[in-house]
Formats: sequence, structure tokens, C-alpha cells
Amino acid sequence: MAPVTLKSITKSYGTTPVLHGIDIDIADGEFVVLVGPSGCGKSTLLRMIAGLETVTGGDISIGARVVNDLEPKDRDIAMVFQNYALYPHMTVATNMGFSLEHRGAGKAEIAERVNWAADILGLRPLLDRYPRQLSGGQRQRVAMGRAIVRNPQVFLFDEPLSNLDAKLRVVMRGEIKGLHQRLGVTTVYVTHDQVEAMTMADKIVVMNGGRVEQVGAPLDLYDRPANLFVAGFIGSPAMNAIAGRITADGFMAGDVTLPLPPGVSRADNAVYGIRPEHLSLAAAGVPAIVKLVEPMGSETQVTLTLGEHTVIGVFRERLKSQPGETVHLQPDLTAIHLFDATTGGRLN
Amino acid sequence: MKTDLSPRMKVALYGLMCVLLIPFVFPTWWMLTSSVKPISDIFAFPPDLWPRRFDFSTYARVFELQPFARQYWNSAYIAALVTGGTMIISSMAGYAFARIKFPFSNAIFMVVLLGLLIPSEVTIVPLFQMFLKWGMINTHWPLILVPIFGAPSVFATFVMRQFFIALPVELEEAARVDGLGRFKIFWLIALPLAKPALGAVAIFTFLHSWNLYLEPIVFLSSTQMFTLPQALTQFTDAYGGAMWNIQLAAATMTAIPVLLVFIVAQKQFVEGLAHTGLKG
Repeated sequence: MAPVTLKSITKSYGTTPVLHGIDIDIADGEFVVLVGPSGCGKSTLLRMIAGLETVTGGDISIGARVVNDLEPKDRDIAMVFQNYALYPHMTVATNMGFSLEHRGAGKAEIAERVNWAADILGLRPLLDRYPRQLSGGQRQRVAMGRAIVRNPQVFLFDEPLSNLDAKLRVVMRGEIKGLHQRLGVTTVYVTHDQVEAMTMADKIVVMNGGRVEQVGAPLDLYDRPANLFVAGFIGSPAMNAIAGRITADGFMAGDVTLPLPPGVSRADNAVYGIRPEHLSLAAAGVPAIVKLVEPMGSETQVTLTLGEHTVIGVFRERLKSQPGETVHLQPDLTAIHLFDATTGGRLN
Repeated sequence: MKTDLSPRMKVALYGLMCVLLIPFVFPTWWMLTSSVKPISDIFAFPPDLWPRRFDFSTYARVFELQPFARQYWNSAYIAALVTGGTMIISSMAGYAFARIKFPFSNAIFMVVLLGLLIPSEVTIVPLFQMFLKWGMINTHWPLILVPIFGAPSVFATFVMRQFFIALPVELEEAARVDGLGRFKIFWLIALPLAKPALGAVAIFTFLHSWNLYLEPIVFLSSTQMFTLPQALTQFTDAYGGAMWNIQLAAATMTAIPVLLVFIVAQKQFVEGLAHTGLKG
């Protein structure tokens, strides 16, 4: 286990910059998730930590060592790839013991470590099989086994669950988190799935366009997103964002006036953010027209028209509202987010 | 693939296939049957599809008229060396062109490929002069070196390159993380996975070398050094006329390894070409 420090990391392909000065501190044993839309540079950053991409500028440290110029094998890291990257011509046991074999470990030690990892991941009955004889979930487990068998200082995961179906993804999510809790190894995990990020991370790094938008604990990001991008990216369904003006009477969005908490400074060009679950139905409030009702069982998701804006509300109640019906919305005043419409920065 | 053809259609289809088979099977059948006919029966009209008389002494005479066993060995060991050499050279070159980034790699590969466009007849005279200078005329060296570093190897390099291009990069990256250097990645990861392509290269190269005709007649002059295709033309009587039955007996023995290679490895050959995207 070791801390990982990224200091002013830049990356360019030719004259095209893709990472613009990334600074991240990952504590010893921490589970950090790099999350962001496709093309934001998160996988590139992970590959730079792994040593599979060169560093254009800045320093990557693992423990006390700057590893910029070290080969992947010398960084004491293990990586789980999106498509598992298991060697098709080797059995599960050989796949798992391969790295130990090439680091000069004895046969007895290899067998011991492979069996230890196989026991943790429930792979014992599969050790003599070939990757082609395994299901997606089993392959994923073998890929993790190959990573843990060497007891590295850092685990790197590159979208490891994206090839699995939704149900298996939830199961494997729990397994990876459980594995981290058991082994306590510093982990950097890349995903574009904000649910994975929220459920697994000690710390989330939200990236966009080669920059870090915000770093923080999952619930901190959820409760106080630093800007509009993070507000929209973290949370599902996404936060409602309504453009308008902050006035003394409330937030004016066209013909609609939304209530504001006290003490908010006026602004002419602002965005009113409210999460779907922070809207409630009341006898009196902001009138909205029901557009679509989606019963989810545990809750009801309703798409509403609010003046010229479309918003989503998630309600615990089982609603019987019909499309076209007018309801009244009551935003939770303690959960309102205000952003500058030009810079996207947080105002409150 | 499952089809729902009616019995009548099936009969028609198999009938058509049998008819189409005739031009492919007939020469082999004619070679086999004629190799055990007395020479006068070969030219009988109408021709006999089944020999009227069997004369197996033709096979013994093949070995009496020429050092055929020695020539057989010549062809076999030359083909084996050429196959092995080409597999080594083409797999390494193919891997380099597919995976290693170096300046002008694509342009260099194109230049290498252009070599395929030059007919061997064009280069045979300069090659003769070169090997003459090196004292290698009437030795087997030209028959080994020319294919290994010539057109067959270029084609094999192309096949291997196409295969390695399709190999997932993540496998190599995983190997790098696991502690392997470039050569070990090639040797332990890429090459074992390239078995189908290597199989196709091996078959193609072996057959090419086994059937080589122009180069042996240019570079070899003594019957002891001859290879089989060249030896086949030497079964003539005192007047220079072909001894057809003996020649066809020799041809049958020459074709046996080729047929065996195809029967044993045809699946691998097709798979290999399919993997490299060369199959239509």
C-alpha cells in the first residue's frame, strides 16, 4: 500500500493537449474513483499512473518515488482492464500466477498466492479452466485475482464492469468494494458510471475536458457540487437546472417564480438547481403540468413542465396523476443550488 | 449452418457438386491409375478409368533410374528449413510492423510488399550471379535463402502482421504490467496466440518450397542435388521421350506429403487465413 500523488500532470498527443495540469492526492489505502464523460481523459490519466502512457509534464509519485520514467513492471501496480485482458492460451491458475513467475517467485510461493487469491474470489473450482470456458463475471474475478495475487501497492481498474450486464455489475461492484475493504490497497478506479462512483469511492474525482472539476467524498459532491457540470453529472436522475434571475422576490425563470432560501445575493444570470428528490408535492406551491409518470416501485419519477422548462421530480408516494394534470411543487429550500450561468460556478 | 432444402433440391445440389468435383479430382485419379499401368495402356483409346493390368514395378523403377530417395530427402529438408526460417522471420517482422512504432514503418512495409510484384523470373539472373560469386551454385543454399528472405517470406510477413494487428493491445499491456519486456511479450503472449496464422504460413511456405521448380533448375546441376519437381522431368528414355508411368509414379510419391499436409492441417489453414482477414 502506498499513497499516490499526481502533481501538475499534463498530457499531449502531438500538439493536442488532453490533460491540463491535474493535481490529485490519493491517500494510502484510499479508494478513488475517476469519473467523467467519454473523452474527459480519465482513462489516459489511469494509464499514465500505470506507465502505459508517457507523462508530458508534471510528476506521478507512488509512495516516495517519482515513477514518471519507470516501466509498468517497476511501479508495483496491478491493473484490471475493461476487457479483462486474460491470456487466452493460459489456464486461470497460470494467468493468475504469471506475473509472480516472471518476478522470480518459486513454484510453491506461486501456488500459495494463487490459492489464496482463488479462495478470496471463489475461483478454486475454475483454476484449471481456460478464459474461453468462463462467464463474464468469472473472467472479471480472474482479472481481479491476477491483480491481487502479487500484493501490489496500488490497484488500477479501467472501467472493469462495463462489459457486464446490469445485474452482474451490481454484484461485482459489491465484490470489488468488499475486496478493497478486506485488503486495504490503494485503489484508483475509472468509470463513466456515476452510480459506481458514488457507491464505491472514498473519494471521487470528477473530470471534464482534461481538467478536474471537483474532488471530494461522494456525498459532499452530491450535496455541494462545485459547479454546474458536477451538479449535472453526479446524481441520477440528474439535478434539474433552470436558468433565470435571482431577485428579492425569488428566482425568476420566465413566468415562473421559484422560492429561494433567505440571504441570497441578487444575480441576473443564474441557474437554479434542485435535485428531483428535493421536490415535493403540496397543496400550494409552484404550479407544474404533469408530462410523464414513471412508477419505479419504490418511488415514482414524474416529468413535469414548469413554465418553459422541463423538470423531473422523484416522489416516495405512488402517484395517480395523469399527463396534463396540474400539480404544485414545493422545493426543499435547504437543498437549493445556485450557479452562475456564465462560469457554471457555485453561488451559494 | 442449418438449411431447409427439400430432398429434391438436396439431390440436385449434391449432383451439381459431384459434377463440379470432376475437373479437380480427375487429374489426381489419372495420375494414380496411370502410375500402375504399363505405358502402352496410358495412351489407350478410349482411355481406361480403371487399369486393365496393374504394374507396380513402376514404383521400384523410380528409385532405380534416379537417386530418388536422396532427392526426396533434399526436398524434405529444404522445405523444412525454409518453413522454419520463414516462420521465424515472418513472425518477428510481422510483429514489428504491427506493434512496434518506428519512423516510416508503414512506408517501409509498403516497400517490402512491393517486392511481391516482382516476378522471380526477373531476379533469377542477378541471384544466379550473386550465388555464383559466393560459391553456392549446385548447393542447396539458394533454395533455402531465397524463399526465407524473398517473396514467400514477404507474403508470410503480411499474414502475420495482419494477425498481430488484430490481437488486443490490452493483452500486451497486461503483460507489461505483469513484468514482461518486448521480446517476452512476443514470445510468450503474441506468438502462442498466433498459432492459426503460423499454421497457415507453415503450410503455404512448405508447399511453395516443395513445389519450387524454376530455382532448382537454375541453381542445381547434379542429380544428387536435385529436388523432386526437378527430378520428375528426368524420367526419360534414351530418345528423350517421357516415361509416363514411371514419371507419374514419382509424381504420386511427390504429391503424398502435400496431400497429407492438406488433410491434416486444412482446418488450421482456413482458420489462419480467416484470422488474418485474407479469406473472402
